[in-house]
Amino acid sequence: MSEASAERVPVEAGFFTIPDDPSASPQLLGSKCVECGEYFFPRRPICARCLAHGCEDVTLSSRGTLFTYTYVHFPLMNSQRADHGGYGVGQVDLPEGPRIQAVLSGGENDFQIGMEMELELETLRQNKQGQDVVIYRFRPSTDGEA
Amino acid sequence: MGLQEVAVLGVGTTRFGVYPDKSNIVLAREAGVAALKDAGISFAEVGEAFVGYLFSTPMTGIRAMKEFGLTGLPATHVENASATGLVAFRDAAWAVASGRCDIAMALGFDKMSEAMRGGGRGQGRDSIDNVILPAAYFSLWGMRRMHERGTKPEHFAQIAAKNWNHGALNPFSHRQPDHEVTVEQVLKSRKISEPVTAMMTCPVDDGAACAIVARKDLARKLQPDRPLVGVRASVLQTETYSRGHIFMGPVVGPPSMTRDTGKQAYEEAGLGPEDMDLVLVHDAFANEELEYYELLGFAAEGEAEKLLEEGHTKLGGRIPFNTDGGLIARGHPGGPTGLAQIHELVVQLRGEAGRRQVDGARAGMAQLVGGGSVCAITILQRD
Ligand SMILES: [Zn+2]
Repeated sequence: MSEASAERVPVEAGFFTIPDDPSASPQLLGSKCVECGEYFFPRRPICARCLAHGCEDVTLSSRGTLFTYTYVHFPLMNSQRADHGGYGVGQVDLPEGPRIQAVLSGGENDFQIGMEMELELETLRQNKQGQDVVIYRFRPSTDGEA
Repeated sequence: MGLQEVAVLGVGTTRFGVYPDKSNIVLAREAGVAALKDAGISFAEVGEAFVGYLFSTPMTGIRAMKEFGLTGLPATHVENASATGLVAFRDAAWAVASGRCDIAMALGFDKMSEAMRGGGRGQGRDSIDNVILPAAYFSLWGMRRMHERGTKPEHFAQIAAKNWNHGALNPFSHRQPDHEVTVEQVLKSRKISEPVTAMMTCPVDDGAACAIVARKDLARKLQPDRPLVGVRASVLQTETYSRGHIFMGPVVGPPSMTRDTGKQAYEEAGLGPEDMDLVLVHDAFANEELEYYELLGFAAEGEAEKLLEEGHTKLGGRIPFNTDGGLIARGHPGGPTGLAQIHELVVQLRGEAGRRQVDGARAGMAQLVGGGSVCAITILQRD
């Protein structure tokens, strides 16, 4: 079920999708090198591995494996939400290759290196137009979810 | 002429700390004048200058140079995040090594306390980069190491306590505890980001530091009665690509960057870890130092904890690390940090380090990583 009806806008454009269905997973916008096949996040026209020009746009998997994490005992910077006592930060390896550094959703004891993570959107605040300003983050995967 | 024909002629530093009543310009002048005095020269003899800082507006470096006089010398701003001071030193050393001038100055200053008053980095524009506390990035290394090697928070606390206690012996250290800092005390301090506690992190600092380098033959002539401290290597690298490289968010680079940069520094110096008598590293967060034991070749892979547990990296040990207190105790304003490391190396290699003197020190290394990311390493050796 959707929890809010406000329109969602990205904190910064060009990095992730915002699905119309709030229960659907967002996806990160990446690149694939047409020469060597290496994948990247965020998008880039020039391959960092073989230096070929002309990477093609792709969307990346919404699931990956937690490589490392920490839990920060301070409120999230740039967030106006009061419910943040602290937050997780992690690096998630996507099956295509890129390692993504992002905020994690969950409590201090909810994470384990090697666990499967899933991308979701978090609302940082509302802007003057009444839209929800969102950023991507990862949460521990809940298997069996439709 | 090459880098091997360059020596450090003089060093100067302010004590790092919070100085609400001193501007960047005043701090820079204090450090610069101290270095000129230590070098025994007039500013008129400085042929080129490199000025580094992170938190001031453009042109501040050139304005600071005017404090010493307007001689028309070429001066260049240098910025490589936390590694800025060592990069300014590298540029000054090469300005002499290339034959462009006989004497060059590297000057760094910063007022992090003023930058923090604006709310720190997180209060800027809306962006994905701007939400995560910087401490988190090195904590991610620490958590991964605990997972791979069974490292305990006590290990990180032991490094922090060691560096606090080294700071007590350094009059230029921001933190000079009047009692021995213990592992328990470090572990009990406020949690920042697992496994890092407040006492495992560097303080907020203002300060300035300066180094003056010269042609070796000139240094010998100007300072016939003093041990000559020569430059053996001064190198800088950015990251090389490998799968899993993180492009998004402020990054501190893969740990391998320090291994690669260290390898280049050892090769250029014609020296190895076995030749070093002391090492200064970027311990902005205590767990970093443990990684550098291995990455710089002082412990085999997986053996860093053993090196630490056996006390080899504290003063009096086989290879003391961060003899001046490191970033954790001496402090880390930004631009001057690397030049404070040069100050410590030079004082140690001359045998002038007082209570924290490393017996018979002949060679030492300074390493800094900087966000972006870069790694800078300088090796100095007494002739
Ligand atoms: Zn490619």
